[in-house]
Amino acid sequence: MNATALRLRPCTRVWVMLLALTTASVVLGNRAGGWAALAPLLLALAVLKGQLVVDHFMELRRVRRRWRALLYTYLVLVAALIGVAFMID
Amino acid sequence: MQYKSQAVAKPYFIAAIALFAAQVVFGLILGLQYVIGDFLFPELPFNQARMVHTNLLIVWLLFGFMGAAYYLVPEEAETELHSPKLALALFWIFLIAGALTVLGYVFLRYADLARLTGDALFPTMGREFLEQPTIIKIGIVVVALGFLYNIGMTILKGRKTVVNLVLLIGLVGLAGLFLFSFYNPDNLVLDKYYWWWVVHLWVEGVWELILGAILAFVLIKTTGVDREVIEKWLYVIISLALITGIIGTGHHYYWIGTPEYWQWWGSIFSALEPIPFFAMVIYAFNIVNRRRREHPNKAATLWALGTAVMAFLGAGVWGFLHTLAPVNFYTHGTQITAAHGHMAFYGAYAMIVLTMISYAMPKLRGMGEAASERAQLTEMWSFWLMTVSMVFITLFLTGAGVLQVWLQRYSEAPQAFMAVQEQIKIFYWMRETAGLVFFTGLVLYVISHFVGGPTGAKAKARA
Amino acid sequence: MTATAVIDRAPATRLPSPPGDLAIWIFILAELLVFGLLFVAYAFARAGDVALFNHHQQELDQAAGLINTLLLVTGSYFVVRAVAAVRGGSGRACALWLAAGFGTGVLFVAVKFGEYADKFAAGVSLSTNTFYMFYLGLTFFHLMHVLMGMVILAAVAQKAWCGGYSRVEHAGVETGAAYWHMVDLVWLILFPLLYVMR
Repeated sequence: MNATALRLRPCTRVWVMLLALTTASVVLGNRAGGWAALAPLLLALAVLKGQLVVDHFMELRRVRRRWRALLYTYLVLVAALIGVAFMID
Repeated sequence: MQYKSQAVAKPYFIAAIALFAAQVVFGLILGLQYVIGDFLFPELPFNQARMVHTNLLIVWLLFGFMGAAYYLVPEEAETELHSPKLALALFWIFLIAGALTVLGYVFLRYADLARLTGDALFPTMGREFLEQPTIIKIGIVVVALGFLYNIGMTILKGRKTVVNLVLLIGLVGLAGLFLFSFYNPDNLVLDKYYWWWVVHLWVEGVWELILGAILAFVLIKTTGVDREVIEKWLYVIISLALITGIIGTGHHYYWIGTPEYWQWWGSIFSALEPIPFFAMVIYAFNIVNRRRREHPNKAATLWALGTAVMAFLGAGVWGFLHTLAPVNFYTHGTQITAAHGHMAFYGAYAMIVLTMISYAMPKLRGMGEAASERAQLTEMWSFWLMTVSMVFITLFLTGAGVLQVWLQRYSEAPQAFMAVQEQIKIFYWMRETAGLVFFTGLVLYVISHFVGGPTGAKAKARA
Repeated sequence: MTATAVIDRAPATRLPSPPGDLAIWIFILAELLVFGLLFVAYAFARAGDVALFNHHQQELDQAAGLINTLLLVTGSYFVVRAVAAVRGGSGRACALWLAAGFGTGVLFVAVKFGEYADKFAAGVSLSTNTFYMFYLGLTFFHLMHVLMGMVILAAVAQKAWCGGYSRVEHAGVETGAAYWHMVDLVWLILFPLLYVMR
């Protein structure tokens, strides 16, 4: 197993990205209090993280497109609906 | 018929059909009483006829399930039934107990029946569908235990297939949940809360396992598709049923005094309850489509596919129509409920029993793989008459229900119950007419078993 | 072909179905559907009383939620390593990675219990208000799935340790892994939705 900074396994890279994105979301969520675009941004980050899990952890990148499409659609649809709800005030 | 002891299924099936016919007769009486309120009053008032109608439904379905189990378990387990004698003894006990109960409902005032049977010692009477005297309920438990013992021992000594095990789990669940009929809290909210542990967890829970297992068995036998494929689908379907149905019980907890969160959890989970039924439709048609053989019993295949479709429509679609709390607020306890109830029970459970009987009867009667073509044709006519008329019964009751909800609950100036009933009478007359057609279909169904024609080798040769 | 190459290579030909038993994927889709509906229901319930939701959201232990997210993500990573190990022919390494994943689950449960203990001590229940109904209900429902995932990981780890899987026959590991990833995926939406988004 090569774990040097220059040659991490792809899955390790994804893991680190997920850790970073999660922490960033929390920091952002707490700092940018009343920012209108905050909710959509956090949702976008969640979708991005979800996509990383779907593609690289669940390994749907190697599978017939329809499975990936299904999971992507799910993520985007749920996020979109949540987004709509957050716009209603 | 591969095992001699499978023969015990026959009396169960015959009793099931006879009780089904009686149930429908009482249904026709009730339907008429909706529009001619004094019909058969005071000899057989509505409330007594209703008890008979609903109790007969459950009892004939139970006879059907037990017959199905006695037929398919030995074949799946590849061994004779543990005790055919026990099966026959339990048959007579159950039949006589059931007959006595019905006679009690019809000929005695309910309060007198309660006093006569010592209900005061351990009160369990007076609840919908659970009107049976306590001693009869105890009798049902005894019969169920004997039945489970018999089936269980058979599976234990033989091959444990997925079909066998799913059926057994469903039946054990059925028996276990029936025990809640003995729990009769004084608090009305709790009374109703636990009542649904029998009713909902039966028909939207463990009975779906029984349905799935029987359907899988019939499909395996009639299509010749790989057992593993069918069994995998069965796992998926029952998982979906349990995932959605258990918390889905909450759709009965909206307005009875239980906490408000049930309106959320019940709505969301029960909204998904149609999914396993939809999966069953895809699965049934898919399996039949890729069949490896042309089984001579066309009627059984028709019943199997019909079950999947009608179960989906009646239980799934019609159930969905009134399952969300905001909708149910207006439709609760109206003719919408009756519409759903009739199509769901017929589509899922009456039809699966008829599917099993259709498949097994020719073998039980030594006719070979299937009845004669003429008999099958008659049977298929009866399928269409009953199924289409049930669709119409449902549509008419849905019409009645929509108008009822509008006039009695939703409009600006809601009208009183009886005033509304007057205005939806036309739907009741139409329902009754459809009911008569249904009964005709049922009579034709019985007749189909006596229709002659070439069977056995000749039927096989033609297939 | 090394395990690394198997995971990261963008394939010329695609596999017909996802790794593991197809049945678990039907299950996964169903679970995702249920959670998805619950999330959307939460969002629209919140729209009905934004002030209430915003107010009580601040009473949640966001740090605990963050830690739990990092734990689940790490657990998923360990599970990915486990699958890579068994594909490389090492059942024992696979079992160890799965055990590590199980460990993250244990920590997740502990943190969650801490959160709940705190809330229950303050007298919060499912009936307190709509926000807490969703918070307690959703996180509990998810917790049940974490526990289920842990049971699956443990069962698979045990079999892997005893040499039950091989380089060519290890669908069970992939099946268990897929379920665990679903649990993680769900939390990745749940956490920002309940704990962060205002």
